[in-house]
Amino acid sequence: MLDEIINQIQNEFEKDINEADSLKKLEEIRIKYLARNGSVTLLFDKLKETSKEEKPILGKKLNELRNSVTEKFNSKKEELEKSETASKEFIDLTLPGKTVKLGSKHILTQTLEEIKQIFKSMGFSVFEGPELESDYYNFEALNFPADHPARDMQDTFFINEKFLLRTHTSPVQIRVMESMQPPVRAIMPGRVYRNEAINARSYCTFQQVEGLYVDTDVTFAELKGTLVSFAKQFYGSSLKYRFRPSFFPFTEPSAEMDITCFICNGKGCRICKNSGWLEILGCGMVDPNVFKYVNYDSEKYIGYAFGMGIERITLLKYGINDIRLFFENDLRFLKQF
Amino acid sequence: MKISLNWLKQYIDLNDLTTKDIVDKLTMSGLEVEDIVDENELYKNFIVAEVKSVSKHPNADKLSVCEVFDGKETLQVICGAPNVAPGQKVVFAPIGTLIPNGNFQIKKAKIRGVESNGMICAEDELLLSEDHSGIMVLNSTLQAGKPITEALNLNDVIFEIAVTPNRPDALSHVGVARDLSAIFNRDLHLPEIVLKESKIKANEIASVEIKDQKNCPRYSAKVVLNVQIKESPEWLKNRLAKIGLRPINNVVDVTNFILHELGQPLHAFDLDLLEGKKIIVKSTEQEKEFVTLDSKVRKLPQNTLMICDAKREVAIAGIMGGENSEINPSTKNILIESAYFNPSSIRRTSKALQLSTDSSYRFERGADPSITKYAAERAAQLISELAGGEVAEGIIDVYPKIIERKEISLRYSRVTKILGYEISKEKIHQILSRLGLALKDLDDNSLLVSVPTFRPDIEREIDLIEEIARINGYDNIPVVPKINITLEKKVDQQKFEDDVRNIISSFGFYEMINNPLESEWEAGLTGNPIFLANPQSAEMSCLRTSLLGGGLNSVKRNLNYGIRNMMLFEIGNVFERKSDLLINSFDDISEKQNLILILSGKEEEKTWYSDEKYFDFYSLKGYVNSFTQKISLDNLLTDLYYSSENEIYSYYFTKNFNNQLVGVGGKVKKDVLSKFDINQDVFVFEFDLSALKKITPDVKKYIEPLKFPKIIRDFALIFDRSVQYLDVKNFILERASKLLKKVELFDIFENETLGSNKKSMAFTLEYFDESRTLTEDEVEKDFNYLISEISKKFNAKLRG
Repeated sequence: MLDEIINQIQNEFEKDINEADSLKKLEEIRIKYLARNGSVTLLFDKLKETSKEEKPILGKKLNELRNSVTEKFNSKKEELEKSETASKEFIDLTLPGKTVKLGSKHILTQTLEEIKQIFKSMGFSVFEGPELESDYYNFEALNFPADHPARDMQDTFFINEKFLLRTHTSPVQIRVMESMQPPVRAIMPGRVYRNEAINARSYCTFQQVEGLYVDTDVTFAELKGTLVSFAKQFYGSSLKYRFRPSFFPFTEPSAEMDITCFICNGKGCRICKNSGWLEILGCGMVDPNVFKYVNYDSEKYIGYAFGMGIERITLLKYGINDIRLFFENDLRFLKQF
Repeated sequence: MKISLNWLKQYIDLNDLTTKDIVDKLTMSGLEVEDIVDENELYKNFIVAEVKSVSKHPNADKLSVCEVFDGKETLQVICGAPNVAPGQKVVFAPIGTLIPNGNFQIKKAKIRGVESNGMICAEDELLLSEDHSGIMVLNSTLQAGKPITEALNLNDVIFEIAVTPNRPDALSHVGVARDLSAIFNRDLHLPEIVLKESKIKANEIASVEIKDQKNCPRYSAKVVLNVQIKESPEWLKNRLAKIGLRPINNVVDVTNFILHELGQPLHAFDLDLLEGKKIIVKSTEQEKEFVTLDSKVRKLPQNTLMICDAKREVAIAGIMGGENSEINPSTKNILIESAYFNPSSIRRTSKALQLSTDSSYRFERGADPSITKYAAERAAQLISELAGGEVAEGIIDVYPKIIERKEISLRYSRVTKILGYEISKEKIHQILSRLGLALKDLDDNSLLVSVPTFRPDIEREIDLIEEIARINGYDNIPVVPKINITLEKKVDQQKFEDDVRNIISSFGFYEMINNPLESEWEAGLTGNPIFLANPQSAEMSCLRTSLLGGGLNSVKRNLNYGIRNMMLFEIGNVFERKSDLLINSFDDISEKQNLILILSGKEEEKTWYSDEKYFDFYSLKGYVNSFTQKISLDNLLTDLYYSSENEIYSYYFTKNFNNQLVGVGGKVKKDVLSKFDINQDVFVFEFDLSALKKITPDVKKYIEPLKFPKIIRDFALIFDRSVQYLDVKNFILERASKLLKKVELFDIFENETLGSNKKSMAFTLEYFDESRTLTEDEVEKDFNYLISEISKKFNAKLRG
């Protein structure tokens, strides 16, 4: 008798659960069979009326029924939930992500940071000096005599006879040496000014990095080693270079360092004026006259110095064709870097 | 400076070397070759051709159809020149020829329907002159088919050499040849002088007196009589033309030739135009006017060194001769000046007159005081050869105080010490001797070097080391593979600004770099500007006193480009004069580093997930405060708020450290913006970064995370609109128990239901204790007390 009822409920449940096509209908099924007054739950009341001997057998059967119903119910529920979520909470993952503000440092700053990083790893300190300089620091103490054509090498903005806008970062060399005794190993980045017409290739202000090393055993060979190491780290290890004699009043001997033009690979092009070489920096051994100005003993101490322009290096590295772009601050330009 | 290879070969044998060898070695030893014009390359396809016939072009009035014989065949060529005629020998560019002027290639073409097989050339097309009036007509004896490199002597190589200011000795063909003689270790041949002199003595005809011996240490003069002024011979005209000089007449051309041969500037006077046949060298006592030989009136400043005759000025010493005594077609007798002038004196005058000549260029760098006699004699010899006449016997040579050669000792060990590698003694001797220096062994370790006067740049041992290094080649200096690093404390004076850049850019700002040179009105907006003495333009006549002007100009530029939303920043130095007194020391000026933040346009665009939102004052304040928090100065700086305008801002706030202003910013006033043509709101804050850098931030201490729960209470009160948030907040903090740790405004609004001039402000209060759990009662008690106190104090009412 009970077996029959069990079978009947089982069959009826199977039919109902197969027909259930929504969570709502499933809830009705739960109430019909599994809730407190559901037919499966109610069957357990019959246990009380059963004899002691039959009780375990019937109990086992009822448990089996309940487990089977519950299991099927749960799996149907899971199935329906999945499909309902899918239809109700459709998510378009292809929508654009929410904007994050990026911001950036100027490309010239980035170039400078790269240069600073390389020299700092070689034990250089970083020093600064004023942009509005005196004639003494900018020229005189750097061994530019008054009325000497060497002063024509740098078109100068003057404030008056005594003050000017520094034309190079070299005056910081003097300031650093005045403030300390050797060994001095420092780079000195900063803005400099030249009274030059503004066009695609020149601007009235730009940034330089100056370098200085003074100690008892400094050689031209070490200068070459240091700068070659820098250039290979900055431009790539396959780079070819040459050191060419030049003239700066504050170094003797003086040199300019060229690297193979990376636009044409040394074949000759418009950028390198068909020479196959690009000048990247000036350098040399500190002139003993400069040591006189800072009271260093030029017999005991030897030094080297170098200087490079950040704009020029950056123009070359990124193929930028107009130096004025650096100072326009057009966001379409700034956001590229 | 232009140098002709053929001319160089007059002094040194270079025939076994290629042009590339010579150019590379010159560049690599300090005479940088910036440009090369190889005529053999430039003119390689051009030939002499004969015009056989000329007929009118059927379809064009100004064109002719020519039959041209190129030595092998007769070609039809269209020519536009008015002077083309049968029988002429012309320069012909066959098909395929590259034309130097404009760098285009001749192709077979139909010109107005008639075929043309080449081009008959004018001088400008060959870059021989600027003449385009007609085709070049050549000597009729030339054979058709002959390359013009041969026919016209266009077989030279011209170098453009950049000579550094320390090398006056290299400003001539002999000078360059001397470097080559050291580089290639071969002999230098200086021209020998063979003079036929007349019996008339120079010093009986003319006389020289130097009154300013400081500025004119030596004056040599040679006299040549009865010359005939005429055109120079081809060889001389050719030499000068190759280096870009226009031939004038035989005498002037000789002086120019010698300047470029020896580097010694000469000047030829018409002796008969020299009053009293006398030369007096002296400086002007007052300003006066003088007409130079280019017919220009020059204003001479006081103390200009002049060449005078018995009565008047006849030349600006070392710079340019006067019109009143120049060589002219009827000149018969001449005086050749070959002098040595003080470099600074010439430079000062040249600068003052803004007149730079080949002569002044050499004197101001330092000519050779010892060469004056030789150069004058060489000139006299050439002039007598080319212009006839007789050379008066002897030379007038006033040289009161002889400029001696310098003697310098050189230690071989020092060469090695400076350069980092050893060069043999033999090599050192060879290099220095080839450069014209005289050597004497002092001992095994050192050398005594006597430096000729043509090398004023060699004064010390280090200068000799440079000569050795450059001639031996910098390439031979080794590249050391490792360096020693000393272990003293390293300094980075830019660390702070680098950190600031990282912080600000991480907020979403883009870094600008603006020109620090501004107009007076821009710089004057924010301070007392420093003016340039020699500005390029009024737009760039002052140093910026703040970063505002540059920043607003960048905003304007972006608006012009159609970019309306901006977050910009800049770090840069700003300059001010401290008083209106003359700037005489660093104390009279201030130079400091500033940081500017600029917001304009929309903070958020309209997107699929949010509405558009414009930047406002509170956006600015948010970034400013986040920044001070990031650099750990938020607890050390105090804010002051100004709701009324100043010169720049409609409303603004300041950051202060110990009552010292370290930053200011707010909403920029409309009238300031309109000066920059900006038509949208701009919010700006500018920090004095130099001041911030000096403040030591509080040392950070670890605070243990809270172990006990917080109790949160909210309230909303209706206030008069004029009540300020900060006053309420401070009042709460002042009155609350110690358990209140945080007060936050979470809502503020106004509407009609609140009543006119009313607003609602809603606060969240956070209570906690680090050591125990609070009871609801104690918080409730404080909270209720606070509400009643606030209500009393601000006449506020609890909202509904």
